[in-house]
Amino acid sequence: MILRALALALLLCPAALAGPREADASSGKLEFSATQADAKFSGAFKRFHVKLDFDPATPAQGRLDVTVEAASIDTKDSERDEILRGPDFFAATKYPQAEYHATRFERAGPGWRADGELTIRGVKKPVPVSFTLVPAGGATVMKGTASLKRLEFGLGRGEWASTEWVGDAVDVRFELKLSPAG
Amino acid sequence: MAARNSPVRYGWVAQSLHWVVVALLVVQVTLGKVADSLPVGLERLIMMSRHKSFGITILGLAVIRLAWRWFDPPPPTPPMPRWQEIAARLNHWCLYVLLFALPVTGWLMSSAANRPASWFGLAQLPDFVAPDEGLEETFETAHEFLVNVLFVLAGLHVAAALKHQFLDRDGLLLRMLPGRTP
Repeated sequence: MILRALALALLLCPAALAGPREADASSGKLEFSATQADAKFSGAFKRFHVKLDFDPATPAQGRLDVTVEAASIDTKDSERDEILRGPDFFAATKYPQAEYHATRFERAGPGWRADGELTIRGVKKPVPVSFTLVPAGGATVMKGTASLKRLEFGLGRGEWASTEWVGDAVDVRFELKLSPAG
Repeated sequence: MAARNSPVRYGWVAQSLHWVVVALLVVQVTLGKVADSLPVGLERLIMMSRHKSFGITILGLAVIRLAWRWFDPPPPTPPMPRWQEIAARLNHWCLYVLLFALPVTGWLMSSAANRPASWFGLAQLPDFVAPDEGLEETFETAHEFLVNVLFVLAGLHVAAALKHQFLDRDGLLLRMLPGRTP
């Protein structure tokens, strides 16, 4: 029984995780929580692309590349979205994409931690991303979180630079169904 | 002055609750109107945040008022035609309904707008509806309609109190004002 399970795991795992895999908004979600007037609210990005080339057996050769369309931010509040896309926050016309690239991975609890760099508004800062990988049929479910401080990336200029009414901390979470890159 | 109502005068608990709610309603309507006239921005966010905190306070006081009214029923009304007594009773209950309906529609409006409410930064209110801009419009229309109903009914309430005090000279207004307990 144990042997059979092991054999199955050996058969499935490399197949599920080796080779580049990707996902976008049609196969996953990329969300965040932020604080406005002392109340937490959530939003999401509706256009993004994630590519993961990662084999748990050889994490040193792994690679995670993410691009996010800044203008696709959606907080279910068109007035707020307009401000977020505008010059005081993402300046989406000037900086249409946010990017994340990681090539260093470490075991962290049941999953992994990627030590990569996030670029928003042309500002590049190290941001660790924690994630787990779970095979699901032919795909892999990648689920994780990251935390960042919006002001480090210049998100919130002018009157929005104060953290009294708009919190500095932003929590990011994602759940993606990665399929073999085609 | 006694805490509880006497046959001819409200006690200080009922009087305090009445006048504090009156003061809060004045603040509340002012904040709402001012916020509504401001362009989308930080100042409006701050005004709306205070409007929500005061609104939650009014809702809490409305609960306390009803509970107190049940515990300590109001003094009997001075002699007046039957239709006036019915009208007064109806108007009072409509005002009570508004003390609940106004904060609740505002609360639902906040949730539908994905701008959750916080009570003076001390506690965030739960959301009973999911973010939905169409729903927000509906609650906003209701909230604004109810404010206009409040203006009319509060106007009638004040006019009736003044009529009793100065035309009928039955001392009705004194029942809601501090003074020696007769």
